Amino acid sequence: MKIVVGEGSCGIAAGAAKVYSAFEKLTEKYDGIDLGFTGCNGMCFLEPIVDIYDDNGDLTRLVKVSENDCEAIIKAVSENSLEDLEALKISKEDEEFLNKQTRIALRHCGLINPEDIDEYLACDGYKAVEKVLKTMTAQQVIEEIKVSGLAGRGGAGFPTWFKWNAARNSEGSEKYLICNADEGDPGAFMDRAVIESDPHSLIEGMLIGAYAIGAGEMVVYVRAEYPLAVKRLEKAIKQAEERGFLGENILSSGFSCKMRIKAGAGAFVCGEETALIESLEGNRGMPRLKPPFPAQEGYWHKPSNINNVETYANVAWIILNGGEKFAQMGTENSKGTKVFALTGKIKRGGLVEIPMGMTLREVIFDIGGGIRDSKKFKAVQMGGPSGGCIPESLLDTVIDYKALAQTGAIMGSGGMVVMDESTCMVGMAKFFLDFTTKESCGKCVHCRLGTKRMYEMLTRIVEGNGRPGDIELLEELCYSVKDGALCGLGQTAPNPVLTTLKYFRDEYEAHINNKKCPAGECSALIKYVIDSSKCVGCTKCAKNCPVNAISGKVKQPHAIDADKCIKCGKCRGNCNFSAVEVR
Amino acid sequence: MINITIDGKKLTVEENTTILEAASENGIKIPNLCYDGRVETYGACGLCVVEAEGSAKLLRACSTKCSESMVINTKSDRVIRARKTALELLISDHDGDCKAPCSLECPANTDCQGYVGLIANGEYKQAVRLIKERIAFPSSIGRICPHPCEKKCRRKYVDEPVSIAALKGFVGDMDLASDDRYIPPVEPDTGKRVAVIGGGPGGLTAAFFLRRMGHGVTVFDMMEKMGGMLRYGIPEYRLPKSILDREIKQIEDLGVNFKNNVKIGRDISLDELKKDYDAVVVALGAWNSSKMRIAGEDCEGVIGGIDFLREVALGNRPEIGGRVAICGGGNTAMDACRTAVRLGAKEVRVLYRRTRDEMPAEDIEIKEAMEEGVDFCFLSSPCEIISENGKLKSVKIQKYELGEPDESGRRRPKAVDGSVEEVEFDTVIMAIGQYPELEGFEGLEISAKNTILADSGSFRTSADGVFAVGDVSNRGASIAIEAIGEAQKASVVIDRYLNGEDVKYKKPFYVERTLPDGYFDKFEKAVRAEMPVLPADERKNSFKEVALGISEETAVNEAMRCLECGCHDYYECKLIEYANEYDVKPQKFSGEKHFRNNEDKSSLIIRNADKCILCGLCVRVCEEREGVTALGLIGRGFDTIVNPELSLPLDLSSCTFCGACVDVCPTGALKEKQPIKKQLAVEEESRKSVCELCDKLCPIDIRYIGDTVTRIKPGDKNTLLCKKGKFDLTDKLNGAQK
Repeated sequence: MKIVVGEGSCGIAAGAAKVYSAFEKLTEKYDGIDLGFTGCNGMCFLEPIVDIYDDNGDLTRLVKVSENDCEAIIKAVSENSLEDLEALKISKEDEEFLNKQTRIALRHCGLINPEDIDEYLACDGYKAVEKVLKTMTAQQVIEEIKVSGLAGRGGAGFPTWFKWNAARNSEGSEKYLICNADEGDPGAFMDRAVIESDPHSLIEGMLIGAYAIGAGEMVVYVRAEYPLAVKRLEKAIKQAEERGFLGENILSSGFSCKMRIKAGAGAFVCGEETALIESLEGNRGMPRLKPPFPAQEGYWHKPSNINNVETYANVAWIILNGGEKFAQMGTENSKGTKVFALTGKIKRGGLVEIPMGMTLREVIFDIGGGIRDSKKFKAVQMGGPSGGCIPESLLDTVIDYKALAQTGAIMGSGGMVVMDESTCMVGMAKFFLDFTTKESCGKCVHCRLGTKRMYEMLTRIVEGNGRPGDIELLEELCYSVKDGALCGLGQTAPNPVLTTLKYFRDEYEAHINNKKCPAGECSALIKYVIDSSKCVGCTKCAKNCPVNAISGKVKQPHAIDADKCIKCGKCRGNCNFSAVEVR
Repeated sequence: MINITIDGKKLTVEENTTILEAASENGIKIPNLCYDGRVETYGACGLCVVEAEGSAKLLRACSTKCSESMVINTKSDRVIRARKTALELLISDHDGDCKAPCSLECPANTDCQGYVGLIANGEYKQAVRLIKERIAFPSSIGRICPHPCEKKCRRKYVDEPVSIAALKGFVGDMDLASDDRYIPPVEPDTGKRVAVIGGGPGGLTAAFFLRRMGHGVTVFDMMEKMGGMLRYGIPEYRLPKSILDREIKQIEDLGVNFKNNVKIGRDISLDELKKDYDAVVVALGAWNSSKMRIAGEDCEGVIGGIDFLREVALGNRPEIGGRVAICGGGNTAMDACRTAVRLGAKEVRVLYRRTRDEMPAEDIEIKEAMEEGVDFCFLSSPCEIISENGKLKSVKIQKYELGEPDESGRRRPKAVDGSVEEVEFDTVIMAIGQYPELEGFEGLEISAKNTILADSGSFRTSADGVFAVGDVSNRGASIAIEAIGEAQKASVVIDRYLNGEDVKYKKPFYVERTLPDGYFDKFEKAVRAEMPVLPADERKNSFKEVALGISEETAVNEAMRCLECGCHDYYECKLIEYANEYDVKPQKFSGEKHFRNNEDKSSLIIRNADKCILCGLCVRVCEEREGVTALGLIGRGFDTIVNPELSLPLDLSSCTFCGACVDVCPTGALKEKQPIKKQLAVEEESRKSVCELCDKLCPIDIRYIGDTVTRIKPGDKNTLLCKKGKFDLTDKLNGAQK
């Protein structure tokens, strides 16, 4: 019997480390029970997750386990009475979360121990590298990737083979292969999960890429805010070196390649490939002009290829299973699968990998379980601050680079933030603009000042100071910034504004013309009122009001003093009778 | 070689040429702020964008290489819009004053800061030259101008405004007395002829500038001598006619024809002038005194203010008797009452409807009138003139009190019921206003104010080729400098008209700033130079000039008090040039603006972050050329700033003071500290030379003004200097001259 604790960052945040150490103490007393850990299987909403494998390899999955449950679990395991753990077992409904997915990039996540190369090797790890080095030419590798239709998973969706080919064909003996693991979108954690849960698949994918372009050095640019990912990747690199998968003359093929990690300091713009290169070189993270593209002049002005984590994580699978098989999945324009980080007002938030071509509705409702707290779906933000929102009416859009772009949103790197009816869309746009404004590197005028001015306009609109003409001015500025900004950060920064303007223009108009926030979220434009016909005088709201703005006698309707009220919404949250209304 | 098309022009350029290079090699201007051929391209400003056929995106001309058969449009609407937006965004966070408030306030936009700075450095002739770019008579105007400039002088927030007018008078006098007088250059004759009607400040100014542009100019004036109101409206004790004569002579010396004693409508008609000349400027002035419209005012003994002053100016001594009343509170009233004193009147009384606070006259005039014994009766105004046998006997004076403020903000006087007294006077002088005499100009469209209607931008009247400026036009009588300002602007418009162009004067856009409380705390106080004057007793009995003039030492010290509000880089700032070229709407994207207020003048290089547009040229040139990182970008996004390394003062950084950063800076964020007493913000002259401080013999561009070398710039677009050429040589050159 084996107990495996899910220890991705998400699990650890939910208490998995405590659970693990509780098991550690207990297993000392029990023979025949192995304890292990794994990465994240994507069901972040159920963490901490404990998987119990019996001697036949059959799995019993326990969820939301606390350290206090551990003794009972050990007991049940040792007594082979797993039926006692019914209360902790994953529900049939939640199992749907995994059942509807197709996992390639995440194929080992939550299954193997990310810190043990042998577990990776046990599931055909490094077989693809072996195949490539022993049986394929670089051109054949690129051809296979071309057949697969794999496109960059970082957001832009540029064909991977093309970049590899360009880098391969660039003159120069010194070339670099770089992995962009500077995942900065708010609400996105696909790359983190892959590195934390399956670092060798990244190393293997990169090695294949390095062989294809002829690079002798690989660098993973990973944000320092991902300490666990850095730690596990460091371990993985060391193990791969020890086993001869990295370094000189790999698998006696004559191909040599080394690998190192560069921890980024957390600037969002360093996810832009040329800014990333600048940062790698020790400079301030600011984008370079393109052309020349990195494939021509990249790291140290040598030909370089940059892909993100998820892109590389698909490569070994493609080599082993064939590009054809990968290309069988998906749509005409978009092949294979895509990983999404499903967050927001959704029931089952976590990491999902689905074949391209699935509809947004399927992802959000069938996998994600729909909206929490029986509220209504309003929109989903795709692609974080660079993306856009997609309204209910377009939920049947299929996941496909082109189809998503037509809505005004983008595929993005995989952030999928779900919003319900209580989300103000102007406020949402402002949130993302706040982010891009702060993350602008300050180099180009349109981004540095354009996003700032857009943010200021949005601020005055949500604060009730919007002026007639603001919508038009905002729109004009958005298009100017898209046209004039130097890099992707600035060029895409207006997307949240443009898509909300496209689908929720009436909300902007309500803020400006009627000084109302239809979603009831903008504190400057709302007031909390107690409906005296519903209030029973339980006093709960009054007791919890941080500024003593609510008065009333026991068992008599209460009232809110609007002058004192700071619109924190606590009264509304606390009322069991839905008597507090937002007007 | 590859073939491309830019704006319809077919060009053959070398491979690997950028669009920007190709364009500039072929004389096609593409704006840019972050590009400099001496530094690697950067692509930050977004100004050089162009459209290329087949490309959905705008291309940055600085970094996009030309490719075969490329068709480029540098002027499409989309391109212009993008550039305009970039400029509007930049302007929204660019803080400074392109021009000083004094200069902006001056109706003639005289470069006050410029000439004050030149005076501080002893460059008097250059100061006169600069003044004469706007004012033909510095000595005269320096004496009589109510100097709106000083009202806006920010020095007042420290202590008191700079005595700008006195400095102008000082330097004007100095020039008049000099053997080496400044003579403005005159362009070669154009063959065009302009008639100017009226030889007052407006007419003479138009003549002065049009003549300098090479046009043949004839000034017609009905009086015996030129000068208009400067001669016939301003008393001798304020403006000695000998000074005015000499300044007018200088205008005549430029080749302007003067025709006196010619009155339009009497001696010659406007139509004749229109026929004989290519353009006509009407600058008649306003020579009629306004009436009070009270009973009895048409009797003998009641005289108009300017009529009275003119009589005196003509050398007559009108009989005014011992008791004189002057009605009005403006400068003409002051001139009249003080002239009356000088004519021997024993009892001179000013009647004014409001109080001293509301008097439009200059404070100094009121003060000096009081010193000379003039009696001021406030809240008083005549309501009836009593005469005997057609001759003035007495005046009924109504008392007033102040009511609610009117639209001008001044409190409106209200008659106090029943409070009327009758006082006997020998003469009553009505100095309450003046209006033009339009006889002979019936063919032109006339305004409701009985002035000639002229377009405010083109100065055109209803007749083609006839322009009008000054008191005779539009709003009517005002101060001399207003007429001068209009005439100077009109001269530019008329010059273009004579070339067949139809343009209007348009106020250029300037960045202006509002300064917060406390900004002026850092300045040390320094007493304003007061104009020494004759003692009241002495001046009462003569028309000797009251103001005695200031000494050179006083003038220089006074000039040193200037706070140098206007940007020292105005004449080379690419941002303001483009902002005007692209007609930006500066308020369009207004929002939070940085006000760091940390100008660092501590070393050879003056840094002002509030003017920085983050083009990055300084940072790049520092690293690429000198191999040091004395300057770097700090912070992110909107708050990014260029600072010396580790935020040290530049002197303590690794800066080599090669000055390259200054030479590539497109705005006034980085400037050389000029090795002179007071930093100058004027357009310098330029002389190409070679730096001989080492055997590299770098080409240099020596910038100087008068005898002062202000700075040295690289002699061409490929050169950057080192500290020796950039800074040491300036000192050497200035030293050599002394």
